[in-house]
Amino acid sequence: MKEYAVVGKPLARVDGKVKVTGEALFAGDIRLPNMLHGKILRSPYPHAKIIRIDTRKAEALPGVKAVITGRDVGPVRFGFVDTPRYPADMYPLAIDKVRYIGEEVVAVAAVDEITAAEALELIEVEYEPLPAVFDPEEALKDGAPQVHDEEIVPTTTCAWQDWGVARAARPYKAVNNICATTSMSYGDIEKGFSESDYIREDKFVVPATSHAAMEPHVALASYDSSSGKLDVWLGHMSLAVKQYWLAKTLGIPLSKVRVHRVFTGGAFGGKIPLFPYEFLAAFLSKKTGRPVRIVLSREEVFTSCRLSHRMIIDVKTGVKSDGRIVAQHVKLINDPGAYRGSSPVVMFLAHAFRNPIYNIPNWKHEGIGVYTNKAVCNPKRGHGSPQMSFAVESQLDLIAEHLGIDPAELRLRNVRKTGDVLPNGDKLDSCGLSIGIRRAIEATGWKEKRGGGNNRGIGMGLAAMFSGAAYYPFASAAIARLNPDGTATLFTGQSEFGQGSDTAMSQIAAEELGLTLDDIILVSADSELCPIDIGGFLSGGVFVSGEAVRRAAADAKRQLLNIASEILETEVDELEINNGHVIVKAKPERGASFGELVKYNIQKHNGDSIIGKGFCKPVPEIEFYPSLSKGTGRFTAAYGFTMAVAEVEVDPETGKVKVHRITIADDCGQPINPLNVHGQLLSQAVMGVGDALLEEVVTEEGRIVNPSFEDYKIPGVHEVPEFIHISTETVEPKGPFGGKEVGECARAAVIAAIANAVTNAIGTRIYSLPITPEKVLKAIGKTGGSGFS
Amino acid sequence: MKQLIKLTVNGESYEMAIEPRMTLLDVLRDILGLTGTKSGCSIGNCGSCTVLLDGKPVLSCLLLAVEAQGKDILTIEGLAQNGQLHPLQQAFIDHGAIQCGFCTPGMLLSAKALLDENPSPSEDEVKEAISGNLCRCTGYTNIVKAILEVAQGQKEAE
Repeated sequence: MKEYAVVGKPLARVDGKVKVTGEALFAGDIRLPNMLHGKILRSPYPHAKIIRIDTRKAEALPGVKAVITGRDVGPVRFGFVDTPRYPADMYPLAIDKVRYIGEEVVAVAAVDEITAAEALELIEVEYEPLPAVFDPEEALKDGAPQVHDEEIVPTTTCAWQDWGVARAARPYKAVNNICATTSMSYGDIEKGFSESDYIREDKFVVPATSHAAMEPHVALASYDSSSGKLDVWLGHMSLAVKQYWLAKTLGIPLSKVRVHRVFTGGAFGGKIPLFPYEFLAAFLSKKTGRPVRIVLSREEVFTSCRLSHRMIIDVKTGVKSDGRIVAQHVKLINDPGAYRGSSPVVMFLAHAFRNPIYNIPNWKHEGIGVYTNKAVCNPKRGHGSPQMSFAVESQLDLIAEHLGIDPAELRLRNVRKTGDVLPNGDKLDSCGLSIGIRRAIEATGWKEKRGGGNNRGIGMGLAAMFSGAAYYPFASAAIARLNPDGTATLFTGQSEFGQGSDTAMSQIAAEELGLTLDDIILVSADSELCPIDIGGFLSGGVFVSGEAVRRAAADAKRQLLNIASEILETEVDELEINNGHVIVKAKPERGASFGELVKYNIQKHNGDSIIGKGFCKPVPEIEFYPSLSKGTGRFTAAYGFTMAVAEVEVDPETGKVKVHRITIADDCGQPINPLNVHGQLLSQAVMGVGDALLEEVVTEEGRIVNPSFEDYKIPGVHEVPEFIHISTETVEPKGPFGGKEVGECARAAVIAAIANAVTNAIGTRIYSLPITPEKVLKAIGKTGGSGFS
Repeated sequence: MKQLIKLTVNGESYEMAIEPRMTLLDVLRDILGLTGTKSGCSIGNCGSCTVLLDGKPVLSCLLLAVEAQGKDILTIEGLAQNGQLHPLQQAFIDHGAIQCGFCTPGMLLSAKALLDENPSPSEDEVKEAISGNLCRCTGYTNIVKAILEVAQGQKEAE
């Protein structure tokens, strides 16, 4: 791999100092003068009609400044998905009916949190409970309670129309609670199965989990009626998404909504779309004329701030006797809860993230999203890939066992290679799958350990991920402004939520400009100061925004070289940049500093102070989203890949699984910052341990029964395995300095690897997550069961 | 009825009238403006609100402010001295022990309490000391390494 001066160096993160001193400001750390505190009354019923709401006593409580219901807000629809086919289906406050426990019913703003909480106690809501449905397969049956019995009529234009696509949002009427469907295919699935030597079909179940970012959700909003401007401070992963939906739902021009930069205390996909509490803070501020802050409790985060997607996955795969996959049919049922959440997206991605891994000539992918009276599901790190990777990678091991082929060898016979073109037209210009598997096998002593024994096991899992996709607002831009003191100020709309984007963007700019990291002054994540940006979900940060940053820096550099050419009376191609100076290659003593060049240019060229501009689209060849339901159109311009190997030990007495070691061979292209790349992979290895062994949001009759860290365990320091990271040393030709995705892919691979390692240890398979001690004991026959399925 | 209390935070004395039911966390954040101490769950499960009371880590979300009177309270804002980062702060930066930064203040104070009490901890002792501090980003390993490196450095300096 190429050596760079700044890129590829394990430099300390640029936000490190403010984070160790407590100076870093998160949304909940900001107090505005005269600020009110908001709280939300939520539904105690999974499904009920709202007969009557009496807010008079709450309004009469001293210190209460506003009490609002769904009637005050009106039928303002919003949602994660808002397309012509699938119009937004949520309200900020319930109107006439509630559909899950925790749904927002009334909001209050008061002078302090205690008064706001007291006001909630004084609100009387009369409900008429309705029959509810919790199981998606039950919900699909005729006669099941209908979660959305009315037609969902769009209240605003959708983003498609706003961006010039001549298709209006249509009303949506759910039949048999179906909220979305996906059906895509390639080749001839029947022919594929008829040519197969061995076919097997298995069913896997994945529960909802919580993102559990350490920072609970917070919004602070301040509306100024004289200017008509709304200022907000909130945790987010894309300021464009928050800005768009706040403008749309409140009827404020886009440019009058300012999303301020704050640090976000972890996100993992859980802070992307608009949330009701954010809208309500803004609405209450508009109503009261005072700033309003709403801080959610951890319990509210668990119950009302979205979960990862529940899926029932049926996989049927046909192979030749040598292990080559010839046909695969996936049928999944997705239960996003009482609203659509990201159901059509996750069902699409469940295919799109697996598509680049194995070369399968005949396949079919079908999904049904089904409303139930449960909490709503949205993206979480990998968005569909963890669920599908667990299912498909588990089944591959079952096939390998039947055929008597080593599971790593089976994968090597099927994985795609650099240069492959996928059925939708995406091309793999870089693909570290084969080399990653080989290096992981070598590093772990796979072949010897695979023999098992001593209750130990080793297993492998593969996963892939986009490097950004064509979603709103469809592009990233950046500005590199050179300063008269020789430094550069970089403006990017990327948002720092822990993943290290502030550092990565700064390193890319420094590298391109020939400056040090300290020379870059960063302005990020402020909608008023920064240009358009796709944000930090779907893993386009480095590949798309980073490339925009590189191009902005290159544009500034080009201008700088032209001025230097004029001053030094030397052709541009005879100049080079070295440590903040442009010098003549042949005579290094002849040169000028950046600062001198900027000042010269201002004086001699009509005040031109040198501003570089760069922009980039995730998939330059397309204008808009790919089809979610048909899977047509280009998805992404580069894929990241992870090959994970897990080594576990199972205690046959307690059923407890201990993960000893996770080895990850990762293809993220050129690491922009190896320290942060390592951190992203380690992060996912440990999160994957939680998914595989510990985490499930348990719902009983629609009520989440474990909404705290006491009852919902995430990995603590004692659950951390040894971690080994191997680079595949691949370079993505289209990425900035060869970089691409790194922050999302590995989680799915780790989950699958752990599941396969457990099977290798106990000799039988567990078909659902998490792999709890109870399931293990049942599977090995310790509780009299005959194996869990 | 508000109650007059005196607190010593990061070496400074503060006198204030507060509701007796206010937690130390709320006083630090909302009255003194020391927002470096974070609230991650408010019920003592996550460790984000850890501060030191006479050198011992406590969960400030579970402690009433009135109970902290007469004790030395150290928050993250008091860890650096005269603009110089504490060695633990520097080690966290150098080892990639920070991502989103929300658990970092509590994690650092748990680590400081450990090293003040036990300058040469084993890896297991380090893990035990931070076992009440949850982190969703880093995977903990680099936090443990950072703390062990500081302990090693202090030993060599002696």
